[in-house]
Amino acid sequence: MIVLGIETSTPQTSVAIGTEQRIVGHAALVGPRRRDVVIQVLDHLLAHTGLELAAVGGVAVGIGPGLFTGLRVGVVTAKTLAQVLGVPIVGIPSLDVLAFGVRHTSRTIAAVIDARRGEVFYAFYRAVPGGIVREGEYQVAPPDHLVADLEARGGDVLVVGDGAILYRQQLEEAGARMELASAAWAHPQASCLVELAAPRLLREEHDRLFEVVPLYLRKSDAEIAWDERRRGATA
Amino acid sequence: MIVLGIETSCDETAVAVVEDRRVRSNLIASQTDLHARFGGVVPELASRAHVEALNPLLDRALEEAGCRFSDLEGVAVTVGPGLVGALLVGISAAKAVAYATGAPLIGVNHLEGHIWANFLEHGPPEPPYVCLVVSGGHTMLVHMPEEHRYEVLGQTVDDAAGEAFDKIARCLGRGFPGGPALDALAREGDPNAIAFPRAMADSGDYDFSLSGLKTAVLRYVRAETEAGRTVNPADLAASFQEAVVDVQVAKTIRAALEKGVRTILLGGGVVANTRLRERISAEGAAAGLRVLYPSLELCTDNAAMIACAGASRLARGERTGFDVEADPGLELA
Ligand SMILES: [Zn+2]
Repeated sequence: MIVLGIETSTPQTSVAIGTEQRIVGHAALVGPRRRDVVIQVLDHLLAHTGLELAAVGGVAVGIGPGLFTGLRVGVVTAKTLAQVLGVPIVGIPSLDVLAFGVRHTSRTIAAVIDARRGEVFYAFYRAVPGGIVREGEYQVAPPDHLVADLEARGGDVLVVGDGAILYRQQLEEAGARMELASAAWAHPQASCLVELAAPRLLREEHDRLFEVVPLYLRKSDAEIAWDERRRGATA
Repeated sequence: MIVLGIETSCDETAVAVVEDRRVRSNLIASQTDLHARFGGVVPELASRAHVEALNPLLDRALEEAGCRFSDLEGVAVTVGPGLVGALLVGISAAKAVAYATGAPLIGVNHLEGHIWANFLEHGPPEPPYVCLVVSGGHTMLVHMPEEHRYEVLGQTVDDAAGEAFDKIARCLGRGFPGGPALDALAREGDPNAIAFPRAMADSGDYDFSLSGLKTAVLRYVRAETEAGRTVNPADLAASFQEAVVDVQVAKTIRAALEKGVRTILLGGGVVANTRLRERISAEGAAAGLRVLYPSLELCTDNAAMIACAGASRLARGERTGFDVEADPGLELA
């Protein structure tokens, strides 16, 4: 089955096409300017690989956590393509995608995505044959929470992602036995997404199209303010 | 030509299928309840709700229209003005539909959509027109000398009419959105009970100002309360509404006469206001002008109006590229 993968949870737009055996094509745009370029990247990729959109048998999308606006562009584009093409869809957390890229390690993996406003999204993983297993919950917290988590775990940790690069100094000062993964792996790659999703699509373990939603992990500011007011009122 | 319309510029997720100015389906998922407790639209919540509502709505809109994606001959989407994050949801979906079906994409200005809502019910466009667009976010007087050409004659220099209605309704404890509540309340009241200022009525141009009026209403309520008098909410609502409508009606009719235009078009959510409809119809007729406005469900934000305007642009050979972006401050002209 030919799987189309779309990942937009970070300032990167990444699109890949492949099967469970191989990645036929992968294109990514990353830079300071945030733009909605999914269809343009996809069009470029199809032209380059000579594949037709109609050949796509399943869609995979990174559902975050990540930057809300970009994330929505990827999720809505993926859902709508799957809807029009009439093919199944699988939503996969972007932190899983990020960790999957650096799974050839015996260390614990910490996947860390910049959440802006002085916070990071993160989760811990352990490599297993053929993939990764998450240990613990998806978190959104200031980097010192991550540092505390790293210290509590002890042992060697491979830290990956744009959030790790941004807060590198803080993480290093923590004294934990950690190594930072290459900057080339700073963003979740759609090629990894395809690899992760293809077996699930083959097993027909797909999601219900209308239920695929971004994993925000953080409420909107208005809701946070509302909750605080209510807490203040009842305290 | 069968055209899909998608509209997500504010707090309504809307999808429609229009064929040759005939509405085949027109669906709206309203988020009003979601934002009510905040007293206004929260952009991040609106964007999140659009993501959840859009795809099921797309399915239903096609089903009600009795067509499939492959029948679409165009995809029209609102590209601005509006909330940037909200617009992006609709634009992303529209691009995906257009790309996957091969139907051409056309970006539409939301305000043009409000004007074109009229052509879904009142026959094809026969310009020239003078159009009054009044909604939660806009108060604008536009000259349309020919199809898709616009000259903005004037607009609000501060608050939009809808905003002012919301604020006064909140002051009267009537919740959000304020328009319908105020309209209903005003029907019980005397529009001449309180003389509020008619801002910029004699300014000689076509601009509007509502913040002064809003302040005057709030000051009146405070003064009456301090003096130990009870304010009659119906009279207050009716008098406030009359002050707004007075200026809008006068300026619109003056613009039509000055431009030598025979027909006035109304568009936007505030056109649902019964007093505005009554007054402009009566005074327009007295001035020898035809006044057209859409039915209630086509006044408020909807996607049929976007599909209608988009279809006309597509028929002229216009196309929008996949590099189009949301433009929160998009100008009509
Ligand atoms: Zn509107």
